[in-house]
Amino acid sequence: MANRALERRGLQEAIHMSADTLFIILSSGEHEKIQLAGMIASVAAVSERPVEVFVSMNAMFAFRKDRSDYQGGEFSKLMKDKNAPDAIELFQQGRMLGDLKVYPCSMAMDISGWEESELVEDLFEPPAGLTKFLSDAENGHLVTI
Amino acid sequence: MSETTTVDARGAYCPGPLMELIATLKLVEVGDEIEVLSSDKGSANDIPEWVAKVKHELVGIDEKDDHWSIVVKKLK
Repeated sequence: MANRALERRGLQEAIHMSADTLFIILSSGEHEKIQLAGMIASVAAVSERPVEVFVSMNAMFAFRKDRSDYQGGEFSKLMKDKNAPDAIELFQQGRMLGDLKVYPCSMAMDISGWEESELVEDLFEPPAGLTKFLSDAENGHLVTI
Repeated sequence: MSETTTVDARGAYCPGPLMELIATLKLVEVGDEIEVLSSDKGSANDIPEWVAKVKHELVGIDEKDDHWSIVVKKLK
């Protein structure tokens, strides 16, 4: 009986864990890291896991409408040569096909003086503060990139 | 009568073929099948994992000369 109860609890925990929201803080402006964040966010979102992404610091530049290219290192060159999926498009696909929300950091918006209209379309929720994001993330898993 | 839709994702890298499959799954009816053509080995491994995770049916996976053919049936 004890074993069965333990088994059931394990199963409940497994179900609970699989439904945990994944929270990602993306601060790097490097192509490779933005690409990885886009891959994680989109694949998790289409695998029935809710995802919330908080974009701040240098990562913000990659999400501007007028960005000409991604800044990165050796692997960035390889991905461009091989036509890897576009990082920003991965986020947009995740949002379209799964439960993915992306927030620009309100502090970063204030400091840069940018308008929401200067960021890529079909992606962002209204700007959010770190306090709210961290508070929501208490009930999930948080990854910082 | 169920139908089969082919998604030619050859040349696309992970997670491109998976995203193309999912976008197409949204458009077809339950019971329909989708054949994904992928030249990306990672996707050939990953698509069956995704199908099992979200509970559709993997009908078959075939390695051809220079690509994989992965057939998925929409169950929900």
